[in-house]
Amino acid sequence: MWAAPVTFIVVLFYWPVARILALGFSGDWLSATLTSRTWHIVWFTIGQALASAAFSVILALPIALLLYCRRFSGQRFLLAAVTVPFMLPTVVVGIAFTPFEGLPPIGRIICAHLFMNVGIAVRIIGSVWHRIDTSAEEAAVLDGAGRFLVFTAITLPQLRTAIASAGALIFLYCASSFGVIMILGNVHTRTLETEIYVAATQFLDLPRTSGLSLIQTALTIGAFAVAHKYSRGRMSFAENSDNQHRTPLQPSDKFAGLLAAGIFLFLICWPLLRITQKAFSFHGSWSLQNFKNLGSFGARQTLSITLLHATFNSLRNMVLASVLALVVGTCVSYLLSRRKFNDASHRSATLLDTMFQIPVGTSAVVLGFGYLVTFSSGILPLRSSWLVTPLVQALLATPLVVRIIFPALMAIDSHVHESASIDTADSRQIWRWIEVPLIRSAISTSIAFTALVSIGEFASTSFLAYGDQATLPLVLFQLISHPGPQNYGMAMATSFLLIIGAFAIVFSVSEKSSKVSSLE
Amino acid sequence: MHKQLKNILTTIAIALTIGIGFRQLNTDRPITHSQDVVLVTHDSFVMSKELVAAFEKASGLKLTLIKAGDAGSLTNRLILTKDSPIADAVFGIDNTFAGLANTNSLIDGELTPTDFGDVCFNYDKVWFAKHQLAVPASVAELVEPAYRGLTVVENPNTSSTGLAFLAASIDKFGTSGWQDYWQSLKANDIKVVDGWETAYYTDFSGSSGHGSYPIVLSYASSPADEIDAAGHSLTAAILDGCFRQTEYAGVLRHAKNPGNARTLINFLLSSQFQTSFPTAMYMYPINPAVPLPSSWKTNTRIAPHTFGDRLDINAHRKLWLTEWSAIFD
Repeated sequence: MWAAPVTFIVVLFYWPVARILALGFSGDWLSATLTSRTWHIVWFTIGQALASAAFSVILALPIALLLYCRRFSGQRFLLAAVTVPFMLPTVVVGIAFTPFEGLPPIGRIICAHLFMNVGIAVRIIGSVWHRIDTSAEEAAVLDGAGRFLVFTAITLPQLRTAIASAGALIFLYCASSFGVIMILGNVHTRTLETEIYVAATQFLDLPRTSGLSLIQTALTIGAFAVAHKYSRGRMSFAENSDNQHRTPLQPSDKFAGLLAAGIFLFLICWPLLRITQKAFSFHGSWSLQNFKNLGSFGARQTLSITLLHATFNSLRNMVLASVLALVVGTCVSYLLSRRKFNDASHRSATLLDTMFQIPVGTSAVVLGFGYLVTFSSGILPLRSSWLVTPLVQALLATPLVVRIIFPALMAIDSHVHESASIDTADSRQIWRWIEVPLIRSAISTSIAFTALVSIGEFASTSFLAYGDQATLPLVLFQLISHPGPQNYGMAMATSFLLIIGAFAIVFSVSEKSSKVSSLE
Repeated sequence: MHKQLKNILTTIAIALTIGIGFRQLNTDRPITHSQDVVLVTHDSFVMSKELVAAFEKASGLKLTLIKAGDAGSLTNRLILTKDSPIADAVFGIDNTFAGLANTNSLIDGELTPTDFGDVCFNYDKVWFAKHQLAVPASVAELVEPAYRGLTVVENPNTSSTGLAFLAASIDKFGTSGWQDYWQSLKANDIKVVDGWETAYYTDFSGSSGHGSYPIVLSYASSPADEIDAAGHSLTAAILDGCFRQTEYAGVLRHAKNPGNARTLINFLLSSQFQTSFPTAMYMYPINPAVPLPSSWKTNTRIAPHTFGDRLDINAHRKLWLTEWSAIFD
């Protein structure tokens, strides 16, 4: 049963990564790695990632409450808006965050990480929160317990799995963040990821690259070990369907509402509006000129393919990568969730879970170099095929699918299983008729994020896609690598279209799932 | 029943994906045929559809292009795959990395220079006019208090533009003086950023990004692209302390089709292709007889004297970068 997903990840991830790391480990990697400079970098990496993850989760709580447990018009719009920054290419994030120039570099980096990752936390936590049985909370309120006490004593423990899952994932995204650190940081803000990039591409120092990658992998394993430790909480699900469960806004939501509105306007809207403003300005005045220019190949034929062609490449990769990641990720989550019925397989399940999370915390440079030495020739010359991009994107999106679907599956009360088994339902029937409907919002969240990973992915794609296979972020980067207002304007217009496109995808996915559940 | 079904379905899905991959490789992968030529380049390489068609028509060959990062990343990727190269020919190894290519015997024969460009500081003419400040005439003046906090440069550890100016500064101020120069730049609040894109579009006030630094490390040719609606250039280059970056092409050792690679390199040197360097790649053609576009004649000049391009950069890169980093740590 495990064979299929394990084959997928071993062939596409562990084999190439092992080959490049082996090249490094044949050198004197220990002394190349264990320098005081390295420890400085490790602590900075951990510190900024911890801060980014903690703030993301905390700031996500009021937003998740309002968007998932309350009912008011415009919720889907807001949810999509919070999610979109996740996919923005970092060069665009860098431009969007120029107004934060006054902050120290570390402040800018954390703000940009929040901008990109709050949406993940909102969705992972929200998709569990709105299914919590509220009767205990209501009873406590009737007994005169304060709002804050109810939240910390009753609600928060039930959200523990989701918070740990979201926190671990965001920690890893921020620990392996590259573009944000490079663009918004300065010469002092070095992380494992930027250090690996310099060691590998500029110095071809493979021993150091391999040693640093080993530390990165240890961080990944550590992050998930911590997440596992705190993900033992059980929760009881409300019996009724989610739309009935949502309540209208209450006067006591004022604090959460103000906080959420502040975060939304300052951290999400402001940066996005700056890109919009730049997309619609040409030679200092409002204009549609940048969008008219998109039909061209850029000033002096900067681009080798049209924007339409790049859009096609991006959409094709997105469909293929999303389907593959969803299938593999759901399969892994399902298998992992079986462990709650069988303690004997617990340890091996934890091992396999970790195995599927390691790609999130692995440097794109290491993966890219691995593909270069493994798939350029030999028995599987994948490197020269267009398929390589969607396959790698699926690989990077799979851990995200697992982290979204697995907690939702774990949160299903085992009584549901037991009573269904007594009614002679087999495991396939339970899956199809009980579990899938219960995790529907987690599935739609997964689709949204795999699509965003695919559309926005830059680092690995830039290593692997070539010639006429360029995607929208690559085209955007080609435009912004050349001087002149036309190229800059086209890059901003492309960013704007990416934002709108990503928004449309996320919006339509969430709308569809809500419609289905309201029909139930 | 259900487990088996799921298992079978997933296995089929993966087998199909890998199978399609193989088919793609077998049909699309051209380098096994003798009528093909694969060129690997840095990311800034541009070859118009018309030029590709012209080359393919004249030579009867089918051209495939691969982009592989900046000049440093390109060179290092070729070293990594030198026994089984990913292409037949390379374009875009520059004089900061040519030594590395040679010590690793990447090239069959010699690297052939194809084009050049001068890495120079640019300044925002509008800003200097508005603030009634004299434009610095040399890079030595950048350490003066009048220019405090006005300059942005690229980090030589992560940017080839930054590395070029580091080499120029070492040549101009000498092995004993360059570190003092950079100490003074640092004391004068110079901003160091990761790469050209950030320096030029986020920080430089003279570009469309409208940053807050009126002096940026860029190219002598960049001002030709910052022309306002009335046709006036908004920026200009400081022609002192410039580094002349020369780019090379070569046939890769162990190439599958070395003969075709040579045909391609001859095409890169033909006047038809050389004419496209200024327009497509913002570089000067190596052949001085090739005419330049009119906007270049009015808005750009090459530096009368350049620095650092004759240093053995490969032998000292690591030492210099370590010393440079120590100044900013």
